[in-house]
Amino acid sequence: MDPVVIALWILRLAFLALLYLFLAAVVRVLLRDLRAAAREPATVLGRLVVVASPGDPPVGTALPADAVTTIGRDVNNTIVLDDPFVTGEHAVLTFRGRAWFVEDLQSTNGTFLNGEPVDGVAAAAFGDELTIGGVRLRLERPGR
Amino acid sequence: MSGRPAATRRPGRSVGSTLTGLGVALSLAFGAIAAGAGYWQVLRSSELASAADDAAVIAAARQVVRGPISDRAGTPLAWSDRDANGEPFRVYASRSLSGVIGYASQLWGSAGLERAYDGQISGVVPADPLRELLRKFEAVPSDPQALQTALSLPLQEAAVGQLGAGRGAIVMLDPRTGEVIVLASTPVFDASSVADPATSRGTFEALRSDDSQPLLPRATQGLYVPGSVFKLVTAIAALESGAISPVTSFAEQPAAERDGLLVSGFRVRDGHHAATGSRALTFPEAVEVSCNIYFALAGLETGGDALAATADELGFGAPLPFDLPTETSQLTNGGGDFGGGFADAVELANAAYGQAETLVTPLQMAIVTAAIANDGLIMAPHLVRSFSGRSGATRVEPETWRRVMSSRVAAEITAAMVRAVEGELGRHFTSGAQVPGVHVAGKSGTAEIGGTAAPHSWFVGFAPANDPEVVIAVVVEHGGSGGELAAPIAGRLLRLFLDGVGG
Amino acid sequence: MSAAPPVGRLRRGIWAYVRPRPRWRELGLLVVVGCALFVGSLSLGATLAVRAAILATGGPPASLDGLATPAGADLLAVYLGALLAAHLALVLAGRRTDQVLLPTVGLLGGLSLLLMERLPQDLAGALGGLARTQLVWLVLGIGALVAVGVAVRNDTWLRRYKYTWAAVGIGLLLLTFVLGREVNGQRLTLAIGPISGQPTELLKVILVIFLAGYLSENRSLLVEQSTRLGPLRLPPLPYLAPMVAMWAIALGIVVVQRDLGAALLLFAVFLLLLYVATARWSYVVMGLAAFVVGGGVLYAAFRHVRTRIDIWLDPFSQAHDAGYQVVQALHAFARGGILGTGLGGGLPTVGGGLPGGIPEVHTDFPFAALGEELGLIGVLAVLGLYLVLIERGLRIAASAVDEFRAILAAGLSLVVGVQACIIAAGNLKLVPLTGITLPFVSYGGSSILANGLIVGLLLALSDRGVEAPPPPAPRARRGLRR
Repeated sequence: MDPVVIALWILRLAFLALLYLFLAAVVRVLLRDLRAAAREPATVLGRLVVVASPGDPPVGTALPADAVTTIGRDVNNTIVLDDPFVTGEHAVLTFRGRAWFVEDLQSTNGTFLNGEPVDGVAAAAFGDELTIGGVRLRLERPGR
Repeated sequence: MSGRPAATRRPGRSVGSTLTGLGVALSLAFGAIAAGAGYWQVLRSSELASAADDAAVIAAARQVVRGPISDRAGTPLAWSDRDANGEPFRVYASRSLSGVIGYASQLWGSAGLERAYDGQISGVVPADPLRELLRKFEAVPSDPQALQTALSLPLQEAAVGQLGAGRGAIVMLDPRTGEVIVLASTPVFDASSVADPATSRGTFEALRSDDSQPLLPRATQGLYVPGSVFKLVTAIAALESGAISPVTSFAEQPAAERDGLLVSGFRVRDGHHAATGSRALTFPEAVEVSCNIYFALAGLETGGDALAATADELGFGAPLPFDLPTETSQLTNGGGDFGGGFADAVELANAAYGQAETLVTPLQMAIVTAAIANDGLIMAPHLVRSFSGRSGATRVEPETWRRVMSSRVAAEITAAMVRAVEGELGRHFTSGAQVPGVHVAGKSGTAEIGGTAAPHSWFVGFAPANDPEVVIAVVVEHGGSGGELAAPIAGRLLRLFLDGVGG
Repeated sequence: MSAAPPVGRLRRGIWAYVRPRPRWRELGLLVVVGCALFVGSLSLGATLAVRAAILATGGPPASLDGLATPAGADLLAVYLGALLAAHLALVLAGRRTDQVLLPTVGLLGGLSLLLMERLPQDLAGALGGLARTQLVWLVLGIGALVAVGVAVRNDTWLRRYKYTWAAVGIGLLLLTFVLGREVNGQRLTLAIGPISGQPTELLKVILVIFLAGYLSENRSLLVEQSTRLGPLRLPPLPYLAPMVAMWAIALGIVVVQRDLGAALLLFAVFLLLLYVATARWSYVVMGLAAFVVGGGVLYAAFRHVRTRIDIWLDPFSQAHDAGYQVVQALHAFARGGILGTGLGGGLPTVGGGLPGGIPEVHTDFPFAALGEELGLIGVLAVLGLYLVLIERGLRIAASAVDEFRAILAAGLSLVVGVQACIIAAGNLKLVPLTGITLPFVSYGGSSILANGLIVGLLLALSDRGVEAPPPPAPRARRGLRR
């Protein structure tokens, strides 16, 4: 058992061990991320609560508002409103870092923010009400 | 970090789940790669790492002093010397070893046993894979192994001397263990001058262009027409399958000897047996006089399938399990659908006495004879007895290979073979093989190869017949009839062995 | 000293972007990387010293003196310095970006340096040897990574001009077709003055950017509408054209540039992104079928393709000519076994003391060299590192704010991951050998720079506080309503 060879072996095994130490540390970070993501399934930026509607969706429903939320009759939209007065792609609600914005996508019947027609893009805030077709939605903070 | 909204989005799955699927698919791909790595780094690792053309083996080979090879008595057969530059080169004890030990040279690589165990002899691979881990704690990682073979140098030299200027091969092995005592091929060459860097180039180039092919190890890779020695295979097939018994005789045989045997419209002719008169022979008598007609009929009785099956059991049709590479012996060229690969009944009849498309190596015939000698049980042939190095010694234990017949059949054939050597009629052909004081069992063969060339002279046998210690197979190319050359050679070598030479 | 430069506005401008935020996880991982590389360098130095002693005197050195010198310590010091500087830059920039990417890349680059140290230094590199040149490229690559990771805050320029990107990519490709230099039978290198590089590497990035824009925009169309061909579904006909163009580009690369690896990679990434965007397996199957057909035609028509396939299927029969490289690589893996020979224990070695080994090991077969030195255990660790990169990339894609970023992030991680897959499998004879590089480990400036850009982009995309993308352009004017 030569000391030189033992020294070589120790160094070789130490290197491999450190490689795996790195991987283990990374896996811990990954798992922590996963668990964090699982605990809060969706960090919702805001909610749209249905204040008035012709029937469906029922009044009081809270729909999550994303960074980009498209609203319309077409099934591709984030929020689908099955109302004859709602255009396929009616409006879009966006959150741009600090503020909310509503944009009307050249809908047939127009989009209204607190009763005022939206021409192009308009700024919105929590508490504002959005009227699209026969449905009125209020933008609220993400709550419990 | 946007959450997925609760409202339905679009038909089909969302981007999120396809990403999960993608992640799984990629993980599987990497898993497959890991499995591939495991295959090459674990399963095939020792095979590739000890191969003669591995870069590390070659690099080590240049530096390392190869381990010595010795015979069964410990006499050195191959060892390393140093040249003027201090670089090691190989030296061999005798020219007679060229067909079995081979050579190891910087220029021309290696051959024979030097090549087969290159990794162990040069120390890159330990003989015992279990020692690998411990070995790695040693200071110098290479541990050249010394090989002890079962060869006997005196007998090997005697064998080569007996073959003289002729071309041929002699195999002697111990049927009880499978150890090979003599593996001689002529013509021989001077392996030392191939290994010596000073003379290497010239010698090798001359050898390569030599018509007599000294580089061909005939004992394991020479294919010859067997002639009558093949009757032993037919005998095994016929008796074991029950197609004939030792007392079986064929009524048409005496007439057929005169006029030729009519098989499917062809006449199979025989040559000799005037001494037997016109009686139908039984099995031992047929062996004693080597009657082709009897065996042709026996072969037809047994059928091509059974004959082919027996031949396969004995090792035909595949390389033999041996330290050195072997040529494959064949029963027939194949492709026929008569049964067993024969084209028709005529070929079967001719093959049954060893004259159709049958080709055998001398080692194969030694194995057949060993089967008979060892009561029907073949022990795997091997050359190396043990490896020993700094980390200890490993013995190679004898290994059983196959049982090809019952001991009853083996005894019946043995009795017939003893008659072939000692019987009144038999000794006309094979008296040369007799050893005073011992019963020798044997079979000679004269393999006709057509045309104007003289037939090959064969002899296979074992001694003592009642308790066999050694099996011998001799073939002399174009040596004439079996009794002429091969049998006397065998007799002399058997006598030397039994007298204790190379014990 | 001359008068101080005007300070006011400039400094305010820069300081607006500096918002220091600690990145402890990254720092912790970098410490582990530093320790690993240091120990690796010690191991390398010791093994090389022992080897030299055995060659010189026939036996190992008698004592432990002189064994403790780490090999390539100066290079490693510069490299770790660069990693630390990168970390500091990311801390100062203060974006909440992924903290695992930089250390993983750092470890891979460090492995590359340790590998290059023991190879004969005259294999490549004009700047004083193989390892030194690789260090320069690695530092530049990490620089690119950090620059992109810090500066890219707005992806409009990526998503708006996708057809421009496509044009640039194709232009680059055509330029290489026409003006490229042939090296080892492959026309990959484009030399403009003193600078030469392999544009194929950049092409990967450009293509992913284009595809991300194209697929995210037309996603619903690709999903909703499809042309039916019997039981199979093809993408709608107007959109089939770009896909056929992709296939043609891949074939063209194989035929003209003789670069089977790039073609395979581009086509694979394209198919996988198509799947990510549309979730339709039938598109992928169709693509694979087209690939197989194209491959069959290429096999029959071109000798270089045939040679590659033949030495893939049975390299041992041509072990001394065409299959030599592959056979040597497999031998290298076998020599490695489970624990490897140790860093510096492989063949060939620096100084030419022990020849033999794999030709072009520094570019084509670094994986085999790692396999030989680190064994199966090390190989699994390296594969794990690439899986980590992929996982982070896919995680960034999954948590992306919109589809463009998701597909872009997925595409970028696929480019790195599938490339690593192809070359690792090729080294192991699982797939035919291709000339592509192992990201961050192979020698080669273009590859390291391009991969640095890719990881930098991933870093930028992972910013959780990033500005939300502009609202999608109104679709009414595209006239595809029912």
